[in-house]
Amino acid sequence: AAFGLYFPRKEYSENVYIDQPAGTPLLRIHALRDSHGEVAHFHLCQNLIISRARSHENNWFQIREKTGLLYLSKSLDREDFNMLSVGNWMPLSKVMLYVFLSSHPFQEKECDSATRTTVFLSLINATAPACSSLTARQLCFTEMDLSFHIKENKPPGTFHQLQLPSVHHLCQNLSISYKLLAAEGMPFRYNENTTGVSVTQRLDREERERYELIAKCTVREGFREMQVEVPFLVNVLDEDDSPPFLPNGTDTADAVVEFNRKEGTVLAMLTVYDADTTPIYPLESSRKKYTGTIITDDPWISETFRVEHIFDEIHFSPNGSQVRGTQHEYKLVLNKSISVTEHRSFQLDVLVNDTEFHGPERSVMLHFNVSILPVSIQFPNMTYQFTVNRNAERFAQIGKICIENCMKFRGVNITYKLLSPNVSCYPVSILQGREDKWGSLYVNDSSMLRRPECKEIQYTIQATDKQSRKHTKTLLTIVLEGTLLKKEEDCPDSCAVSKHHAECEECGGLGVLTGRCQWRQGSGKGITTNYSTCTPSIKTCPDGTCDVIESKDAAVCPQDCTSGNIIGGHGKGIGNLGIKSGHGICYCFPRQNCYCEKDDIKEQLCDDVCKTVI
Amino acid sequence: LAGPPSPPGQDPHGWRVPVDCVRANELCAAEPSCSSRYRTLRQCLAGRDRNTMLANKECQAALEVLQESPLYDCRCKRGMKKELQCLQIYWSIHLGLTEGEEFYEASPYEPVTSRLSDIFRLASIFSGMDPAANSKSNHCLDAAKACNLNDNCKRLRSGYISTCSKEISATEHCSRRKCHKALRQFFDRVPSEYTYRLLFCSCKDQACAERRRQTIVPSCSYEDKEKPNCLDLRNTCRTDHLCRSRLADFHTNCQASLQSLTSCPGDNYQACLGSYAGLIGFDMTPNYVDASTTSITISPWCSCKGSGNMEEECEKFLRDFTENPCLRNAIQAFGNGTDVNLSP
Repeated sequence: AAFGLYFPRKEYSENVYIDQPAGTPLLRIHALRDSHGEVAHFHLCQNLIISRARSHENNWFQIREKTGLLYLSKSLDREDFNMLSVGNWMPLSKVMLYVFLSSHPFQEKECDSATRTTVFLSLINATAPACSSLTARQLCFTEMDLSFHIKENKPPGTFHQLQLPSVHHLCQNLSISYKLLAAEGMPFRYNENTTGVSVTQRLDREERERYELIAKCTVREGFREMQVEVPFLVNVLDEDDSPPFLPNGTDTADAVVEFNRKEGTVLAMLTVYDADTTPIYPLESSRKKYTGTIITDDPWISETFRVEHIFDEIHFSPNGSQVRGTQHEYKLVLNKSISVTEHRSFQLDVLVNDTEFHGPERSVMLHFNVSILPVSIQFPNMTYQFTVNRNAERFAQIGKICIENCMKFRGVNITYKLLSPNVSCYPVSILQGREDKWGSLYVNDSSMLRRPECKEIQYTIQATDKQSRKHTKTLLTIVLEGTLLKKEEDCPDSCAVSKHHAECEECGGLGVLTGRCQWRQGSGKGITTNYSTCTPSIKTCPDGTCDVIESKDAAVCPQDCTSGNIIGGHGKGIGNLGIKSGHGICYCFPRQNCYCEKDDIKEQLCDDVCKTVI
Repeated sequence: LAGPPSPPGQDPHGWRVPVDCVRANELCAAEPSCSSRYRTLRQCLAGRDRNTMLANKECQAALEVLQESPLYDCRCKRGMKKELQCLQIYWSIHLGLTEGEEFYEASPYEPVTSRLSDIFRLASIFSGMDPAANSKSNHCLDAAKACNLNDNCKRLRSGYISTCSKEISATEHCSRRKCHKALRQFFDRVPSEYTYRLLFCSCKDQACAERRRQTIVPSCSYEDKEKPNCLDLRNTCRTDHLCRSRLADFHTNCQASLQSLTSCPGDNYQACLGSYAGLIGFDMTPNYVDASTTSITISPWCSCKGSGNMEEECEKFLRDFTENPCLRNAIQAFGNGTDVNLSP
């Protein structure tokens, strides 16, 4: 069998005083076995690590190779203390020792075995205290918690001695006895003669992973009796002794590819449970221990799909007590975007393998029923017709063009194009956003709207899928209506400049649909997303996003697009663009500052007197 | 019984006064034998563990010579000029020596000698608002007012608040990196009589406790989409010299101890609060977990889920934040304006 002796504790601690005689026992270290017949040998690394990185040759401490008793082999005098304390800036000096463990007698003075535990010795700058000056807590236990770990499925054995060898040696006239409480029905036994605590049977972490007992100590000195109780904890360490299994036996899932064809799309997910724990730290090594592989000879399948594995801790309750286990999730993910013309169905198998489990059922097979459906690139069965007012200005948004199901598409890039009409009237253009889902129609040349010969213009729109070059066409009719209004003098380019209701609606500006700006009356309560402002169209501005048309010119909708200063109470929009919320009325000078303020000077109302012409 | 006369370079308390590592490095560089040994040791430590290194004769010799040089005991000061350089020199020696896997690492910073009472004395000069005068007063609000009345505090506080609340895009809530940097500047450059009042104000109602929890803009500097495992987070922190040093400093100054009255090492509350504040703006940023007024629970943004066989160690690490009597006593002592009375 593999070498499997181990320490049930990571750290031990004890105090050392000046001039304690050679031969004073300090503490007892135990080892537990991996298989019957193993014999533990203890060995000390011949280097004392002094805190803050110094080291010194160990001239004082030794360990009994067979019993694990650490003792003073030479008394530490004051000079030794001073030497070991140099570099220690804390009033309390600590030295550290490593104890190694082997199943055979130590040949050389090895100092590099992987199995080791650390002993901290606090050097107390005083002679050993009188027993009468020690508290019951100090007589019974060290400052370190009584906390142990025992590996599951290993043979029983003694793992701790409650009696402190140093105190026992020092205070022989005191009677100190121990008891282990709350141990009924638990696989631990306390031996009164040796004060040793042993585990009596093989433990199973999947049954129970934590035992909480109480160590009770009674000190008797003449008629005086003192008692101390401290928690005594045993954690059971896990090993990979459970195979993977499927919750409810589900090993199949459907994976349909239709409108969402983008790389990275999660198509389906299947879950595998394991009663063992899986540390998420370090993550990569745990991923390697639990693998999920696509079983296929088809290079197209292995290029197009990948499996993503995530895992999480879950709890099982085998018999009332909670134990930790693992839920593994295997997601089938598109490794690249799939063309709209692709049409296939097949079963994809994924082999999940618990590589560290040594049993026959170490793996399970997962099945994904994959169907890849083609999607058609076509316009709905109608032609588009939009009406545009002759007074509309440049960058006025007319409408949206969208092929069937365009909003559901992901990973499909559609380009919309206007084919030139036969006449010379050409007032509108099309633009598309980053997502390439739809096209936005807008006025590109407002002078054409004013020409009397332009009345009804017919365009052909073409939508093309970038990847497959598949395309489709439909007809678009633009009808011009309305009579031309006289343009006001002294009106600014941008609606956003106006800060009053009246002046807003008197003027036009870039992006207006009917020749006049629109006023949005806000709620007027504090800093709100519903602030008052003047805009080319309440539908599109401000709506919290700086769309492709608004971003063409800073004067169209600075409320959504400004990246400049905003003065007054406000909140900025996503990516620091635009005014998400404002106080009172917000107005902007394009390419300069925006202002949000309460309009305290009320517009003078025109009363009867003022209407009267004298 | 009188002790032996102090060797040169030791202060009356009996331990050596440390030199800062930047200075120690200069002293070593001026001395050919030291500088060549230092170079050798750094090569020895690169990518090797302590035991392999010690097996090499040349490395061992370099180590022995350096044990006598000022580099060996050198330390750094919080917020000093060239702090990062100083810490780099410190860890270049200590990394391979103290074993990377140690649970608690010794702090590379100089011990803190000032006391909370020093802060209270200063605070009473500028406050004018006597916290005891009005039992209904919101101490966290008073702390914010006091900060706004000081130009430096006000500038750096609004600096980190605006950085930490700036939305980047629909998916990225804020720039955590910039937010952390601004928080570090605030806690490094603003005197602790202002910063501690904001961080550790005592509260009687939930609004006050919520303000206290919000002090470091936790939505950006603290919370994240997922909670990593604490040991994983510790590992990330230890790859960064500054974070590693601040964590070691926290462990040195806030480690609960049975041997002292207050549970704090050397009964020094100021040192513990200082190293707590020193963690803010790093991966291990701690904060109040809720706006509870009755119980104070502090934690970094991590959990012990998924610890496997290391759960015991993970919980021990987390408990130093969540159930640490030294840290809790120090925060309460600051809130109440009480320090330990130590006889001189």
